[in-house]
Amino acid sequence: MKGTNLGEFEELLLLIVLILEEDAYVIRIREEILSQVNRSISMGALHTTLSRLEKKDFLKSDLGGATQERGGRRKRIYELTAAGKAALNDVKEMRANLWNQIPEFSLKFIHA
Amino acid sequence: MHKGNPIEPPAISLQLIRRLCKRDLVEELEGNLVEYHAQLQNSSFKKLKYWYQVFNYLRPSTLKVTNLKLHTMFNFNPILTFRNLLRHKSTSFINIFGFTLGLVASIFLYFYIYSELSYDSFHTEKDRIYRAIRVSGINGSPYNIGVTSGPFAKALLNDFPDDINTVTRAYPEDGLVSFGEKKFFEENLLFADANFFDFFSFPLAIGSPEDVLKDINSVVLTKAAAKKYFGEQDPMGEILTVDNRFEFIVSGVMDEFPAKSNLEFDMVFPIEIYERFEWFSNWWNNGLFTYVHISTPAQAQNVIDQLPGFMDKYFGDDFKASGRRVDLTLEPLNDIYFNNKTRFDFVRHGDIQSVLILALVAVSILFIACFNYVNLSIAQSFMRAKEVGVRKVLGVPRSRLITQFLGESLMILIFSILLSVGICQLLKPLFNSAFGLDVTLNWSDPNVIVFFLALIVTIIVTSGIYPAILLSSFKPVVVLKGSKLSSGRNVGLRKALVIVQFSISIFLIVATFLIAAQNNYLNSKDLGFDKEAIVTIDLNNSEIRSGLESFKERLLTNSNVRRVSTMSGEPGGYHDASGFIFSGVEGNTRMRTVFVDRDYFDLFGLEIVAGRGFSKDMSTDEENAMIFNEKAAKEIGLSPEEIIGKRVRMPGWDIENAPVIGFVKDFHFKSLRDDIEPMAIISGGRHRKIAVKVNTEDIGNTLLFIDEKYKEVSPNYPISYRFLDESLAQLYEDEKKQAKVFIAFSGISILLACLGIFGLAAYTAQQRQKELGIRKVLGATPQQIINLISKDFVILVAIATVIASPTVWYFIKNWLGNFAYRIELPDYWYTFLLGGIIAVVIALLTIIVKTYRAAVADPTQSIRNE
Repeated sequence: MKGTNLGEFEELLLLIVLILEEDAYVIRIREEILSQVNRSISMGALHTTLSRLEKKDFLKSDLGGATQERGGRRKRIYELTAAGKAALNDVKEMRANLWNQIPEFSLKFIHA
Repeated sequence: MHKGNPIEPPAISLQLIRRLCKRDLVEELEGNLVEYHAQLQNSSFKKLKYWYQVFNYLRPSTLKVTNLKLHTMFNFNPILTFRNLLRHKSTSFINIFGFTLGLVASIFLYFYIYSELSYDSFHTEKDRIYRAIRVSGINGSPYNIGVTSGPFAKALLNDFPDDINTVTRAYPEDGLVSFGEKKFFEENLLFADANFFDFFSFPLAIGSPEDVLKDINSVVLTKAAAKKYFGEQDPMGEILTVDNRFEFIVSGVMDEFPAKSNLEFDMVFPIEIYERFEWFSNWWNNGLFTYVHISTPAQAQNVIDQLPGFMDKYFGDDFKASGRRVDLTLEPLNDIYFNNKTRFDFVRHGDIQSVLILALVAVSILFIACFNYVNLSIAQSFMRAKEVGVRKVLGVPRSRLITQFLGESLMILIFSILLSVGICQLLKPLFNSAFGLDVTLNWSDPNVIVFFLALIVTIIVTSGIYPAILLSSFKPVVVLKGSKLSSGRNVGLRKALVIVQFSISIFLIVATFLIAAQNNYLNSKDLGFDKEAIVTIDLNNSEIRSGLESFKERLLTNSNVRRVSTMSGEPGGYHDASGFIFSGVEGNTRMRTVFVDRDYFDLFGLEIVAGRGFSKDMSTDEENAMIFNEKAAKEIGLSPEEIIGKRVRMPGWDIENAPVIGFVKDFHFKSLRDDIEPMAIISGGRHRKIAVKVNTEDIGNTLLFIDEKYKEVSPNYPISYRFLDESLAQLYEDEKKQAKVFIAFSGISILLACLGIFGLAAYTAQQRQKELGIRKVLGATPQQIINLISKDFVILVAIATVIASPTVWYFIKNWLGNFAYRIELPDYWYTFLLGGIIAVVIALLTIIVKTYRAAVADPTQSIRNE
C-alpha cells in the first residue's frame, strides 16, 4: 500500500460517510455526492473506492438494516475508523498549514 | 417476462450479479440494485440508467474471477483468429457468406413456419375448445362442413350438461357499415354470442369480456376498424349504422391479437339480433360456427361417441324423408387452421404440407452451409499444421487448441448471425412481397433466442468439433519435420459431404422444375368453359337483388357488353350439394347444384351434348328445368338419352317433377385439385352472382359503365366485382407460392453447394501445385490439367444425381397426389437428367474458373518454390 495518502475523491467519500452517520450506505452516499458536489458516480465505482478505503483501514463496514424496499436484503453501512478520522484531520491540518503560507496577494489574484 | 410487480428489477440482472460477483458481496449489491430500481420508477430512461449501474458493478473489485492475467497465447485468442480469417480471405469469405446466406434463408423460413404454427395459440382455453362440424358425403366419400345452424349450440349444451361447459356461436357476415359520411362495404363482420370474448381470448383494449356484447345494439371493433371510422377520436359510445338500417353503439375496442387467428373479423355484433328471425332457428339454415368448451379430451370423445344419437334426435325425420344423413363431430380449435379440406368454411386455413416442406428446405440449406464449413476447415487444416506443431512444442495442451479452434468457429458464426439478422431486416419487405407472405421478424420472441442458441450449438457440434479435433491431433514431430501429412484419411468424408450437398441441390432443382410444370399444366389446362373477359359481380344487397332485371337490361344497352347471366355460383365459386331422385331410378344421387338463368350456357361457352339447353320460347324452362353434366349420367349409370325426359325430385328443396331436358359436356367448375363431380344446372332459384361477358377492347370504359349502371340501381351500396380468370387463378395461389419459394431456395442451395466446391477445388489446386508443375514440364496441356482436377468432382456430382432422382420422384409423386388433374411423371423424365446436367455444368464452371490459373501457371514457379 502506498502509504496513507488520501486522494481527493477518497477524502470526499470519508467526509460524506461522516456526514451520513448511521445512514452511510452506497445508495445514500451516491445521492449525497450528487446533491452536495453535483457529481454522478456509479455504484460500482463507489464500491471500488470504498473497498480501497477499507483496505487502507480508514473505513470499516458492517451489514445491517434490511428494509422492505430492498427485498429484505441487508445493506453495507460504512463507518470511519480512528485511523480514518486521523487521516482526515491530517489532511485538513496540512491544507490549513499550506493555505497559511500563501502570500496574500496571490490569493487575491486568484479571486480576481 | 414476469410483469407482476413493476418495482422488481429484471430477474436476469440480479442473476448476472449472483453469477459473476463475489459471494459475500451479492446480498449487498442486489439490495442496492433493487432499491435503486425502485427509486428510478418515475424517471426517464430508467432501463438505461438501471443497466448502466448493473454493468458498472461488474468490475475487478466485485468479480469472482479476479485473475484476468490469462496466458493469451495458449487460450482462445480473438486477435489470432482475426488474423487467420484475414490471411485466408477467400475461405473466410466463403464460410461467412455461406453461413450468412444459409441463416438468412432459414431465419425467414423459421419466422414463416412459426407464424403458421402459432395460429390461434393465444387462446388460454385453446386445448379445451372444439368446433362442432358436420360430416356429409358425396357418393361414398365423406367430407367435413364447417358451418352449422343456430339451434345446435343450445341443444348441445342441453343434451350434454356433464361434458360441455359452455358454448358460443360466431356468424360471419358482410355488410355496408357507415358512420356519417364514411361508408365501407365490410367483408369481415362477425355476429357472436354475448360470451364470445369470455369464451375465446381475443384481447380487449377497452371493455370487459363479460359484458361488451351484452346489449343487443352493441358492437366491438378492432383497433384498425376504430381508426378507419373514427380516426383519433374516442370510438366508445359512437353509433355505427349497418346496411343503412341497424344502429349499433360501440361498446368496446379490441387490442392487437398476439398471434394470428383463423377467424378473421373487424367488428363483432351480438348474434342475438338474429334470434328474432324465424330462419335462424331452422336446423337446416347453416351458416355459423358453433364452438363448445369441454374440459378433457376423454369427455370430448364421450360427446363425439354420442353425437350420432344427437343427430337422430333432431334430424331423424328429415333423414328418413331425404334418404341420407348428416353427422356431427368435434374439431379441436388447434386443428382448425390446418384442416383445409373442410368445406363451407369461411375461416383462414393453412397448408401443413407446405409448412413441412419449407421446414425441410430450411434444414437442408443449413446443412449445406455447415458441410461447406466442415469441408473447408478440414482442407485448410493441413495448411495450419505448422502452427499447431509450434504451439504443441511450446507446451499447449490439446484441450486449449480445441478451444481455440472452436472459438474460431464461434466467431465466424456469431459474425454471420449478426450479419444475417441485419440482412433479414433489410430484405423483409422484399421477401414478403416476392412470396406474397406476411412475415414479421420478432427478434425479442424468447423462442427466437432459443432458436439461435440451438442453432449455434448445433452448428458448433456438427461443423466445429470435427475440424477442431482433427487439427489438434497433429503430431508436432511429424508436422515440424516437414514430412507430408497424409491427407488421404479424410477424403472419404469430404467426398460424402459433397455428395450430400449436391443431392440436396439436385433434389431442389428437379422439384422446382416439376412443380413449375404442374403449375403450368393447371394454368393452361382447358377448363371446358370460357373464362376470358368475364366480370363477376356480387349480388350482396337488397337493392341490387330487387333491381336485378333492370340492371341486366341497362347493361345490355352497351355494345361492349356481350352477355349477362345470373347464377347461384360462378365456375370456380360456390356450388351447393343436394340429393336427386330420378323417376324410375333406384336411390338418391348426390350432386353439386347451380341455379342459373338461360344465358349461362352461352356466356360460358358450354357445349350441350344431348337434349337441349334452356330456351326462351319454352315457359317450362323458366323454373326448375334441369340439365346435368356427363359425369352425372355416369354416376346414375344410364346414358344421357335414357335420362332425358325423366322427372326429378330434390328432397328438402320442394322441387318435384322437374324435367330433365339435356346434358352438358363436363367442365371444371371446381379447382383442378378435385375431380369433376356430378352436377345439376337448374333454371331459376336464388342467385348470388352476375357474370358479364365484355369485349376486351376498351375494357376500362366498359367497367366504368358497369359501375355507373350499378350505382343507378343500387345507390347505397358500392359495387364488388372481380375478373373470373383472376379468381380462378387464385384457386392455385398456394401452388404458385410454393413454386416461387422452391425456385428461390433451390437457387440458394445450388449457390451454396458451388461455393463449397469452389473452395475445395482451390485447395486441391494449391495442394497439388508441384505435381501439376511436373506434369506440365512433362508435356501436359492446361486442358488435361483441368480434366484431372475436375474429374473427381464430376463423378461426385454424378453420384449425387443418382441418389437425388428417386427421392425427388417419390416426393413429387406424393405431392401430385393432391391434384385430381396432374402431369405424368414419366413424361418428364428429362427433368431428372436436366437437374443433374445443370449441377454438373455449374460445378464444372466453378472448378474451371478456379483451376484455370493453376493449369496455365508457369511450372518453373511451382517446382522451384521451396
